[in-house]
Parts: sequence; C-alpha cells; structure tokens
Amino acid sequence: MTEITLAVNGTAKTVDVEPRRLLADVLRNDFNLSGVHIGCAHGACGCCTVQIDGVPRLSCLTFAVQCENVEITTVESMGGPDATHILQQAFKSEHGLQCGYCTPGFIMTLAPYVDTMLAQRRMPSDEEIREAMSGNICRCTGYHGIVSAVRKAIGDQLGSEAAA
Amino acid sequence: MRPASFGYHKATDLAHALALLAEFGDDGRPLAGGQSLVPMMNLRLARPAHLVDINALPLTAIERRGDVLHVGALVRHHRYLSDPLIAAHFPAFLEAVHWIGHPTIRNHGSIGGSISHADPTAELPAICLLYDATIIASSTGGDRRIAARDFFLGAYVTALQPGEMVTAVEFPIPPAKSTGAFIELGERRGDFAIASVGVALQWSGRQITGAAVVCCGARLVPIRASEVENLLIGRQLDAPDAAAIGRRFANTIEPVSDHSGSSAYRKHLIGELTRRTIERACQQALETA
Ligand SMILES: Cc1cc2nc3c(=O)[nH]c(=O)nc-3n(C[C@H](O)[C@H](O)[C@H](O)COP(=O)(O)OP(=O)(O)OC[C@H]3O[C@@H](n4cnc5c(N)ncnc54)[C@H](O)[C@@H]3O)c2cc1C
Repeated sequence: MTEITLAVNGTAKTVDVEPRRLLADVLRNDFNLSGVHIGCAHGACGCCTVQIDGVPRLSCLTFAVQCENVEITTVESMGGPDATHILQQAFKSEHGLQCGYCTPGFIMTLAPYVDTMLAQRRMPSDEEIREAMSGNICRCTGYHGIVSAVRKAIGDQLGSEAAA
Repeated sequence: MRPASFGYHKATDLAHALALLAEFGDDGRPLAGGQSLVPMMNLRLARPAHLVDINALPLTAIERRGDVLHVGALVRHHRYLSDPLIAAHFPAFLEAVHWIGHPTIRNHGSIGGSISHADPTAELPAICLLYDATIIASSTGGDRRIAARDFFLGAYVTALQPGEMVTAVEFPIPPAKSTGAFIELGERRGDFAIASVGVALQWSGRQITGAAVVCCGARLVPIRASEVENLLIGRQLDAPDAAAIGRRFANTIEPVSDHSGSSAYRKHLIGELTRRTIERACQQALETA
C-alpha cells in the first residue's frame, strides 16, 4: 500500500492505496464521487473522463498513485446537484442526455472545449464539435442533442457578451 | 477488469529511470501516457511486475538540431497539431496525427509510447518509417541509434532490449520542395486503421524527383512501398497515373484476413488508399509550386 494525498475538487485528502488501483475506482470508492462513471474500463468509451489540471483525462487509464501534486476535478465540481453550469443547462434544454450514464464524461470533456471557444470568441462547426467529443460514446441520443447543447452553451455566452 | 499488482516507481530524472529499468530488466516497463499500456493491463493482456513512471522526465522538446528535427520521447501527440516545424517540413506527419484516437488520447499519448507499443496500424510508427527517422534507445550502457526500418520487428515487437527506453526520435528535415499526405480508413473515427498510406514527395518544375510511400495494413508492421516509390519518380505532378500504381502495388502484397476485413478487401483498400494519397500529395505540390 502507498499513502498518497490527492487534491480533488479543491479538497486534499490522504488515502492508502495499492498502486494498481485506477483513479476512477479511488474517486468512486475512497472519495464517494459516484459521478465518475465507469463504462468500458479500457479507454474506449470516455464515461470516466475527469480533468487533471483542467485537461480531460480518462480516469480508467490513470493510476491514483500518479496523481499527487495535481488538481483533479470531477463532474461534482461543475454545477452542484442543480446542475447549474451553462453546459449542463444546455444539455438539459437541448436533450443532450437520456439515460445519463455517459453525461459526466461528456461534460468533463466538453466544458474546457466550450471555454476554449469562448476565449477565441468563435462558434465551431458541427464537425469540429463532433471531433472534440469523438472519444465519448453515447448510446441514447444519437449525438444531435449533444452537438446542439454545445452550440447553445457557446452561442448563449457569445450572445450575452455581445449584448453587454 | 482491473490490473494485477505491480510495484510503482516514479523516476525523478533520466539516470534514475535507466537505473530502475536496468534493475528490473524483463520485469519492468516504462509508463508514459498509459493510453496503450493501461488498457492492456486492465484487460490482463500485460502484467508487468514493475512500472517506471517516466512522466516527470524532461523529454518534451520538438526542436531543430542542425539538419534533423529532434522529438523527445514524451512529446504528446496533440503538440504536433500546432507545431510550426511539423507543419512546415512534415505535412504527412501532420495529417497522420489527426487520425490518432481522440483529443483526450492525443493529450496524453507520447511518441515514445506509441512506437514502443508498435501497434501494426499505429500512425507514428508509419511516420517514422516514411521519413527515415532514427530512434534513440538509451540504457545504463549508453545510447543506441536504430533506424526506423530496423526498429519495428512485428506486431507489438520492436528492437528495444530489456533495460532500454526510447529517449528521442530524430527526423531528417526534407529538402525545401517537398510535401506529403496521409490517409487511412478505420471502422469508426478515432479507431486504429484497417489500412493507411502515407506519401512524401519532392519535385522540380512539375516532375516528381523523390518519393517515399509507407503502408499499414499490408503486413503486421508498416512497410515502405519501394516499387511505388520507383514508379513515381520522373512522373508529372498533374498526371501521376496513381490508380494504376495503386493497383500494381495491391498486386504485390498479401495482407492477412482478420475480423476487420478479408485479405482481398484489404488489397483493394490499400490500392485505393495508395491512389488517393498520391493524388492528394501531388495536388498539394501543385498548389505550393
Ligand atoms: C480509445 C483509444 C484509441 C486510440 N487510437 C489510436 C490510434 O488511432 N492510433 C494510434 O497510434 N494510437 C491510438 N491509441 C493509442 C495511443 O496513441 C497511445 O498513446 C500510444 O499508443 C502509446 O503511448 P503512451 O504514451 O500512452 O504509452 P504507454 O501506454 O504509457 O506505453 C505503451 C508501451 O510503450 C512502453 N513505453 C512507453 N514509453 C516508452 C519509452 N519512452 N521507451 C520505451 N518504452 C516505452 C510501455 O512500457 C508500454 O509497453 C488509442 C488509445 C485509446 C485508449
């Protein structure tokens, strides 16, 4: 066992883990962050995406022992139980989810993408949005609602900035 | 599934990493981006006894050193997409990177990991072969320089010895008038390819003066299509007769049949990809000419 201190959603906690334990499992079981969903556990579905220092990362392809001295964020940090983050709101209004299993992974992958587009003040093409989310699999929506949600999150912000 | 137990060792610098790899020999493996190794461990296809985490090593440069481009083993795939040296000198390299996995994978996967893993249709091994790269393998015994054509020995098998790790890859900078293209076909976007073809061309006036062609999917390692290269030299950029060249090349290969396609399908596909990639490279040459 190895004692490690992880900074998750702004709070540091020390846990004792075997090196073989995946970050995804440690977040779920030792940090009670059940928003980290595990789909395939070998990097193919994107469900378990979290952010490390703001960059999306598959928590099933990462060992918890690798994650000291970095900032880990999970979907729990986004908009709380009411899902108030602009992207979460857009997923809701644009029908970007149905069963919701893949949603945390999509949100964690796409929130930094939305931020990048806002920083560039640019509405990406649908093809670019599809490329940005190509590592995440959704079996319910057929992706159209998710693309619209990304467009809405970006469009609303660009619009309100233009109006201000 | 979940990985079997292993010992985790975070290397603080190159000397430390090489000492750990020497100590563990066959039982130790470097851990870079983890984008191939960890899936294999989760599926219990790999059970290394010791992992040497090399992510803290400063092997992250992409820089011109004389007449070669030096790429550190830990350069992550996404870096090429915005690198001016790659865009200026290695257009087929730039195109190939767009085909690697997805953004999250490209953010973490490294060139050292990709070529050491040596998936038969991975893009970066093909690019190393296309551009005659030299792989620098380091160990406590010193450095070995291995030509790409001697590095990839079989599916997931390379010339690396236990205790060695890749520290850099060197790409000779092509002459000024050169261009290239890379096209592949997979089942879904971001999947490993069923087959792919890369082309790098040099020209003078409207005539092709030098050609390199690489193909994945014909064998279990990327191969250079020397017959195609010879056929291209001397042809005109606006009339390379690429379809005939593609068919001729397809007749020289004997791909294996597997779950993603029969041998006959792959032959046809490789002939067609050869045509498209030659035409695309020629078109780009004409646009820059
Ligand atoms: C969903 C998904 C899709 C993908 N699609 C593609 C694709 O289309 N094309 C593609 O090419 N790749 C693809 N990949 C793989 C990805 O590109 C990997 O990043 C790459 O193959 C390995 O790089 P890594 O740094 O993650 O290596 P790791 O996974 O850390 O290591 C891979 C192997 O190389 C060894 N190793 C690592 N670094 C070194 C070194 N410096 N010297 C010696 N040995 C070393 C390890 O011990 C291990 O055996 C995909 C991965 C996933 C999960």
